[in-house]
Amino acid sequence: MTKLQKIVEPCKRIDGNGNIKILLKGDMIDHVEFEIPQIRGFENILVNKKVHDIPRIVSRICGLCHASQAIVSNKAIEDIYGISPPSQSIILRRILLIGELIKSHVMHYFFQAFPDLLKIFNFQEISNPYELMQFDPQLTSSVFDLIKLGSEIDKIFGGRYVHLISCISGGVIYKPSQISINLIRKLLQKGSNHAKYLIGNFIKLFSTKTPPSSFDLPKINYLGLSNQDRYNGKIVIKNYKNKFNFSEKDYQPYFDKDVGVFGISFHRNNNMGLITGPIAREKINEISVTERLAPYFNKINEKWKQSILFQNFLELIELDHEIHQCLKLLNEDSLNERIELPDLGEIQKSEGIGILEAPRGLLMHHYKINQNELVIQAKLFIATEINIPLMNFMTLQYARDLHKNEAIDKVKKKIAQMIRAFDPCISCATH
Amino acid sequence: MTTCSGCISTLFSLDIFPQFLEKTKIAYFPYITDEDKIGSYDIALIEGCITQEFQIQLLQKVRRATNKIYSLGSCAVLGGITSLSKKRAGDPLSNYVEIDGIIPGCPPPSTLFGNCLMNLLENKMIKLSDKNQCYSCPLREGLDYEFKTKITKLIPNNRDINSAQNPKCFLSQGVLCLGPVTREGCDNKCINRGMPCEGCLGSSSKSLCSNIYNFLSLLDLSDDLKTYEGIFYRYSKPPIKR
Repeated sequence: MTKLQKIVEPCKRIDGNGNIKILLKGDMIDHVEFEIPQIRGFENILVNKKVHDIPRIVSRICGLCHASQAIVSNKAIEDIYGISPPSQSIILRRILLIGELIKSHVMHYFFQAFPDLLKIFNFQEISNPYELMQFDPQLTSSVFDLIKLGSEIDKIFGGRYVHLISCISGGVIYKPSQISINLIRKLLQKGSNHAKYLIGNFIKLFSTKTPPSSFDLPKINYLGLSNQDRYNGKIVIKNYKNKFNFSEKDYQPYFDKDVGVFGISFHRNNNMGLITGPIAREKINEISVTERLAPYFNKINEKWKQSILFQNFLELIELDHEIHQCLKLLNEDSLNERIELPDLGEIQKSEGIGILEAPRGLLMHHYKINQNELVIQAKLFIATEINIPLMNFMTLQYARDLHKNEAIDKVKKKIAQMIRAFDPCISCATH
Repeated sequence: MTTCSGCISTLFSLDIFPQFLEKTKIAYFPYITDEDKIGSYDIALIEGCITQEFQIQLLQKVRRATNKIYSLGSCAVLGGITSLSKKRAGDPLSNYVEIDGIIPGCPPPSTLFGNCLMNLLENKMIKLSDKNQCYSCPLREGLDYEFKTKITKLIPNNRDINSAQNPKCFLSQGVLCLGPVTREGCDNKCINRGMPCEGCLGSSSKSLCSNIYNFLSLLDLSDDLKTYEGIFYRYSKPPIKR
């Protein structure tokens, strides 16, 4: 019997620590896996915690998706107590989610995805952030301004850049002054121009190129929320011929997970055939057909639309789209109202589920509590966990193809590009 | 190390970040560079706590290769939120190597973080306050608190937060605030927004434990809080077995 040789290499330029694991059988690639060295155990940490204490803890799952984690947790707790936050708080939460998405998308695009695109399409090999910043100083300056925009939205509306203070169960405890809102409005208008520049730059450099066919997505199912606002809606699983819509309360016939164990099982679909995040959001909500955004999509070579690399373009589109959504939200009348947040009151149900679309896709928390309002079970469904089986499937095929002509060292570097295109969030995945 | 990446995320948000990139030469930063070999460095800022064997070896390697090491954020400084873990609580970096300074907080407060980076660029020591949160607390004025109120809550009721026209010291309202045993330096961000201090900046005195014992001896905690885990050690690995 041929012995398996194991190769493990840290994957660089991703959010967190993750390894590329390759198993070789002789000279053949037998297995490729994106390996996460540890699980931090948040699902166990939450057991025996007071239910209203949870949002502050789960925010610490991820420094990039912190607002999503805290807000989805608030939604699950509000489900338990049977309360709804005032409409002003929902607007404030959506603004906080937009701030988070702007920063997360622009950081991933510029520092992690863009150097790969330049390499894949033979522009330039970039090996450090200084070369990257010199490649296009205007792009760099736009990127830094957009990072600042996302950060300032969360600081002004949430109290600080990361791990927001203002998100509690029942609503958002702080509303900025009109002066601060005007400041954010100006930053957003500037940000809209930066987003346009980034999209224009992408179109100029890459729109006529054809992405390598190895990056093409197989026939898959798209998973996301039915509403474009990333806050409300039903869960949608859609493929080229079928579409299922269901409430988050009815998720268990479709998918589930074991507490403390990595991975989510999809009962009706092949785990490897599912994706969530910008690509799924586009398939489900089709922002590409909106009047303002359609011209950008028309300029892109059709081949892009089948590729996982299309996610990088969609990140930029979502930047532009969410900046415009945020400008609209800032004009909502209810932002000027003085409101009282509802108290949690008495427990109405022994379990609660919260759901939203985080930057990387569907995020769901499901808590069960006892009569003392202590958590007895917490299940956290994380977007990156949903995407990893497909990512592993595609990297294995790619690695096998590459290894026909290339040495294993080069294979490792190239499959890292594919992993980065998926934008895995290791902090979230190692919850 | 083991982290949520929130300290890195905060670093990118700082006003001085573009300047910081210009004035330094970043040699090893897995988030944005491909470099995988440890070279030799003037300064290392390390975020995250230690939960794995390979991290200890990496940390020791960096220590040997680096002039000055600074622990960045509550995980690196104190062990952080994974201190609540029932399996393997994270260790602070200082359990394994000598540390030259700390930038605490979850996340490090932006002004404090920015000032620390400026000091590092000018080759100066990082200065942190040894006063507690109460020293600069906006709710302290005119307060003659005698620790007589029974502490029954971790956060105030929603209506109390919202109608806080004349906010009062949390402890006097029966809400646990860790301000008395926590270092100042964040401009009392949580307290200013209507939430009590959670202690993320760590202890103002060197001995966290004796500080907390003294605090506890003064407090009248309700029974459910007495048995509730992870109030005082939310951001710090306890030096004793729980």
